[in-house]
Amino acid sequence: MAISTYHATSLPKTCLPSFTTLKVPSKPKNLHLGCPESKRSSISCSSTVCNINSRENDFTTLQRPDSVGRFGQFGGKYVPETLLPALTELEKAFHSLADDEDFQKELDGILKDYVGRESPLYFAERLTEHYRRPNGEGPHLYLKREDLNHTGSHKINNAIGQALLAKRLGKKRIIAETGAGQHGVATATVCARFGLQCVVYMGAQDMERQALNVFRMRLLGAEVRGVHSGTATLKDATSEAIRDWVSNVESTHYILGSVAGPHPYPMMVREFHAIIGKETRRQALEKWGGKPDVLVACVGGGSNAMGLFHEFVRDSDVRLVGVEAAGHGLNSGKHAATLTLGEVGVLHGAMSYLLQDDEGQIIEPHSISAGLDYPGVGPEHSFLKERGRAEYHSATDEEALEAFKRVSRLEGIIPALETSHALAYLEKLCPSLPDKTKVVVSCSGRGDKDVHTAIQHLQV
Amino acid sequence: MACNMRTRDLLTGHLIVKRRTGDSSVVRAVVVDRNILVKNTPGSSNLIMKTLTKPQVETVDMDVSKGRFGRFGGKYVPESLITCLAELEAEFNSALRDTAFQAELATALRDYVGRETPLYFAERLTNYYKNSKGEGPEIYLKREDLSHGGAHKINNAIAQAMIAKRMGRKCVVAATGAGQHGVATAAACAKLGLECTIFMGTKDMQKQSSNLRLMKLLGATVESVDGNFKDASSEALRDWMGTMESSYYLTGTVVGPHPHPSMVREFQSVIGKETRRQAMERWGHKPEVLLACVGSGSNALGLFHEFVKDKDVRLIGVEGAGFGLESGSHSATLARGDVGVYHGALSYLLQDEEGQIVEPHSIGVGLEYPGVSPELSYLKDTGRAEFYTATDQEALDAYQLLCRLEGIIPALEASHALAFLNKLCPTLPDGTKVVVNCSGRGDKDVEMLFNHKFHSM
Repeated sequence: MAISTYHATSLPKTCLPSFTTLKVPSKPKNLHLGCPESKRSSISCSSTVCNINSRENDFTTLQRPDSVGRFGQFGGKYVPETLLPALTELEKAFHSLADDEDFQKELDGILKDYVGRESPLYFAERLTEHYRRPNGEGPHLYLKREDLNHTGSHKINNAIGQALLAKRLGKKRIIAETGAGQHGVATATVCARFGLQCVVYMGAQDMERQALNVFRMRLLGAEVRGVHSGTATLKDATSEAIRDWVSNVESTHYILGSVAGPHPYPMMVREFHAIIGKETRRQALEKWGGKPDVLVACVGGGSNAMGLFHEFVRDSDVRLVGVEAAGHGLNSGKHAATLTLGEVGVLHGAMSYLLQDDEGQIIEPHSISAGLDYPGVGPEHSFLKERGRAEYHSATDEEALEAFKRVSRLEGIIPALETSHALAYLEKLCPSLPDKTKVVVSCSGRGDKDVHTAIQHLQV
Repeated sequence: MACNMRTRDLLTGHLIVKRRTGDSSVVRAVVVDRNILVKNTPGSSNLIMKTLTKPQVETVDMDVSKGRFGRFGGKYVPESLITCLAELEAEFNSALRDTAFQAELATALRDYVGRETPLYFAERLTNYYKNSKGEGPEIYLKREDLSHGGAHKINNAIAQAMIAKRMGRKCVVAATGAGQHGVATAAACAKLGLECTIFMGTKDMQKQSSNLRLMKLLGATVESVDGNFKDASSEALRDWMGTMESSYYLTGTVVGPHPHPSMVREFQSVIGKETRRQAMERWGHKPEVLLACVGSGSNALGLFHEFVKDKDVRLIGVEGAGFGLESGSHSATLARGDVGVYHGALSYLLQDEEGQIVEPHSIGVGLEYPGVSPELSYLKDTGRAEFYTATDQEALDAYQLLCRLEGIIPALEASHALAFLNKLCPTLPDGTKVVVNCSGRGDKDVEMLFNHKFHSM
């Protein structure tokens, strides 16, 4: 499949393709694509509405992803030939681990003793009171405390899983890309823990803005390589990391930080984060004898959201709400609301929604929170949206900052700015919820890293 | 402490010690010696007294209910505070017996703080310390760095904030050194809807500016005080004494007049209790060596207390040797201090020939305290616990070592305990179970190290 690039000047002479957008002559209104093996009926859909027959919307039987890595029309493996064997090997190794008791035991042990799981399901009493209506009714709000994990966010769940997997594969070298540095720090952390060599690619501009995180990664023993091509930000760092991987596939494993990228990454990363939802189910049962009614999570690439949602996708009575970054507002052109305003295309090896202009060029996204500042989104989220299984909303920078301050002051928990987007949406959500609705918000990270930004904007 | 400042007026040139160990109502505390010198330094809010040159342990058991640990501890405060302290003690005892309070605290520790904290086998660190024959101790880290707020301080802050609420107080006052106690207190107050004022020394603010920002975001009012922790403490107490009816003084560590040391230790002892159970599950018996850094002593006592009666468990505390013990720039109170009264309790402290407080120094800001817990002073004198030191450089090296080997960034305070492994491990038999209290995470120190270019990269 022909894949054209949007930064042709940044490619070396040998013309290694990178994970890029699929160039289309015009905005696609109808995409006719081959259907997944398991479903024989064809799917004709616009980018916003689908006519699906009820059998295909039955999540209790739907295989996510299917055997070729598709979630409906989304997902897949849009990569150069050279990477296909590595991806196949990775998938095979991953599946074999599901039955490997030793691996599971080792992973569980590390998640418990190193990461600090299980993370609590915390009843946010003062936040609940804040949303109580004058008649005394309102939902009950719980925070799933991924902020308490080692390194301060959910990212470590996946980093640990993938590092262990890499060790299984006999790889001695790990590479990763990072924007603000959180995924880089999580990767450097696990590499130190397992004694693996670690190279993190980071845009030169990001390195300047996040010098402290660069220092942190180096303290942990990682090599941080600056990328100067393009806009010298995350997407360029991603391309460089992929280039490295193509050249070093034998010795190197690429730890992708989110549920994006080519199959099997979206599935693998989701599986490593699925523990969030599994724990939540058990904790909900212990605490109130039932399931949560609503799950709310912020969506950048989508990993923390998938981690919480996945366990409950088959429970049609559990509402799944994702919140993206609306930046300066959906009409401003400065946002990262991929599922709200994006279109379908291929980015970083997978078909999914993404923010592109009329010529198929990536639109530089914006969010006050670096982790949501991604022009794409995980293919499974695109699928859940299309099927109406999950709803996606957005919150602006300002709304997120307000939520950041609110939760800090009401609960003494400083949430990450990314998480604050999910918390911001509670303003719109709670008034509409029946009394005693059980809402679980994924508190995906702590906000220590955001204090500078917050203080500037909030004038505290 | 402000209470000592008040007593300045009450005291005359010669002072007399009333060594009534069972009496918690001692108002004036003095030391009788050949050279009695009492000096109230302008600008110093503390009454320092010259000490005996030879420690005399009067009792062998700890009369905890009266606030004495041997001869250490007590309530060296003005009359005006005695009632208050008695009220606090009564409330504390009542809370300990109140099953509803205990249940609420247990839930807060589990769901808010994130307990229990893991007992983590540090495999790569263990291998690092193995000798050429492949022998060496097994090193475990008690992961207080994973607690909400990033240090063990929250265990005490949340419990005391709950007591404040129980007493009907609307606001909380506290002093902080490195900022961890300030952050923990601000967080606990936000959670419980209490107003919060934190006093912090200007010198400390510069070194731990990230913690300062966190306190403000959590809604606390931060008052700056010229100097460091000891000055902030005095100012905080002065402030509190003006509003004693409606506010609560939340002490962060195991110093001060009774019942503060016992209260804080009680709330921190969850660390040791969990460790005992985890050790039993893990390897079927108790740990053999417990290692913790010592500033005032809260994390150390939190780990040690559970095991004090287990004579086969070795208790090792590590203080800050700063630029070296001979340099005079350190915080090694138990190593180099004398006995005296400071901040309301009899304990070891760093004082000069004239009974003036020596300004302590350590790269671990939380260790920079010229006094130390009376209970630890007692454990030292009775030989139950051993105390050593580590310099700034040794702590920095240990900090970087743990980063590289385990992917854990420890607080610089905890790094002092980790530094001592260098000297300790070669002396231990193969397979000895060592538990090091990883009392906090080092994110707060990254900025400081980065700015001062302590790193070697």
